[in-house]
Amino acid sequence: MSAVDRRAFLARTAALSAAAAAGVALLPTTAAWAGGPARFGDGAYVRPRPEALADPTELTLAEAAWMIRYGKLSPADLVEAYLARIGAYEPAYQAFNTVLADPARAAAKAAGRKRHTGPLHGIPLAIKDNYWTQGVRTTANSYLFQDFVPPQDATAVARLKASGAIVLGKTQMGPLATTRATTPDGRITTVNAWTPTNPGTDPGGSSTGTATSVAGRMATAGTGTQTGGSITAPSNAQNLTGLKPTMGRVSLAGIIPLSYTRDHPGPLARDAIDAAIMLTAMAGQDPADPRTQGLPRVPDLVEAATPTYSRGKVRARWSTRIGVLPGYADGTSATALARQAFLSTVDKIDGVRLVDVPLPDEWDLLTGNAFNNVRLPERSEPFMPYLRGDLRGFGVSVTGWLQGALLGSNEFITGQRAKLLLLERVLDQIFDHCDVVVQTGPVPFDILGLPEIGFPIGFTPAGVPIGTILGGEPYAEDRLLSIVAAYQAVTDWHWRRPPNPPAADAAARTLSLPQERGRLTADDVVAQMQ
Amino acid sequence: MAPTPPTDAELDTMIRARLASLGIDLDQLPPGTAADPTTGSPGRDSVLASLRSFMRSTVPALAAYQLPAPAGSDPAHAAPFSQQPAPMLYPSISTQWRT
Repeated sequence: MSAVDRRAFLARTAALSAAAAAGVALLPTTAAWAGGPARFGDGAYVRPRPEALADPTELTLAEAAWMIRYGKLSPADLVEAYLARIGAYEPAYQAFNTVLADPARAAAKAAGRKRHTGPLHGIPLAIKDNYWTQGVRTTANSYLFQDFVPPQDATAVARLKASGAIVLGKTQMGPLATTRATTPDGRITTVNAWTPTNPGTDPGGSSTGTATSVAGRMATAGTGTQTGGSITAPSNAQNLTGLKPTMGRVSLAGIIPLSYTRDHPGPLARDAIDAAIMLTAMAGQDPADPRTQGLPRVPDLVEAATPTYSRGKVRARWSTRIGVLPGYADGTSATALARQAFLSTVDKIDGVRLVDVPLPDEWDLLTGNAFNNVRLPERSEPFMPYLRGDLRGFGVSVTGWLQGALLGSNEFITGQRAKLLLLERVLDQIFDHCDVVVQTGPVPFDILGLPEIGFPIGFTPAGVPIGTILGGEPYAEDRLLSIVAAYQAVTDWHWRRPPNPPAADAAARTLSLPQERGRLTADDVVAQMQ
Repeated sequence: MAPTPPTDAELDTMIRARLASLGIDLDQLPPGTAADPTTGSPGRDSVLASLRSFMRSTVPALAAYQLPAPAGSDPAHAAPFSQQPAPMLYPSISTQWRT
């Protein structure tokens, strides 16, 4: 046990002993986190692009941080700019299920009077609605939590607020984090910000509302959770940079569970530096979540996400071999062409080398549907009181929870043994040959708890974003950020923003009902669930 | 000889019995295949069909999997070697104390 672990253990043991001696109820296992702001270097403040100065909602997090730090923008003005966009376009996007306009205004006003706390000082964020927010309804878009008002913030939210961030609203999500955002009965709410008049375009799920709010410039950045692609998929779908950290990097305390071993909290942001700022604030040890303890320290993520140059030319911060899996860029589809262009571009960056890596043995089997389903008892077990109550409370999503209740302990343990085998094969057969690896889907590294970053690499001919995913070794978020930062320094995909929804359409949708956007059935949910 | 695969009726009985043993009453869902108009919850016949498919695909695939023996080991030792690998809920975290 490390010194830090031992201190946390002894502190908790002492508290439990004292509580028992006093004859009072034991402490809750999820004690509220009460720490201070994260520490950042000057790299977290970026002088804004000239074209971004006219509209505060166009500023990246790092640019807004620079403006606030140097007194050129107040948190109050930044919040008002976002609230104005929400007022104009939220009827079309339907990214939020709660907008905290007055509390955000009050927090911004208070931030204007407080000592500067860092780059998140006065920055308005969109928080996925499975993160507990003290005194603010947290529903996970489920009937089961429709009246749940948490007594405390999730640790990740508390950390962001301690660093000065403002919670602007709670975002639409797939019910209990299963699919793209819908109401609990399956009615589609949130659209892809790039195609606001076409609800049929996949906006990515289940952190849909966060993605649409950030892409639609209704929040500077936001939080998501990923169990089966729910950060990287909406980031890829909406031209964002989303970082799913290694399991344990960010505390899960105060987040409504979907699958214990696979739920990863992380940021959805506009570029690599913004994602690094967000993760720096969110990450770290938490006495309320043992998965966060005894891990490597969080490296300087902002530095890692800052491009480096040699004689005016971008180069990789660290010499990096990018592994390319078989079939990654094969074909002539828009995605294949974007992947080919991406590989060609990164291959030209000094310090980057592409290497072909194999799919590990039994890859399709061990990452396929049956072994992916090993996660399902993790969602039924914590929900047993609800499953015994009224199954209809799960709405359109109930089937996955019943599947979990049916899977036997034998099969569950086989799955846990196979996970370690899969990890060893990934480390030996992939990462012995490279430092980061392209992904053709998020699930394998979600099974293993390995970090992934999703980022934009192009557009379809119809103007829909195309993204890709890089995966890394345990706790190598800094390496992932460094490669994306170098790529973003030589490309401009991440600077592109969707046009505003047509005014007439926005007005029309003010009166429209969600069912006009389509509806997922229970079978759809089974096929698509994270 | 492998046992005879269960029929639909046998699976339905098993599924209902398993869920009932946990205190879960499938009859809370609407009868038939139509979804509940208020909540979108599927009809119980639809759910049973989906759960039968799950029982016929995921469960046997996992149950049949035998963890591999080290390369080059005697095939006669495959079963005892397959017992050796440990389960790991959090494989990425385990790298911090395994190396």
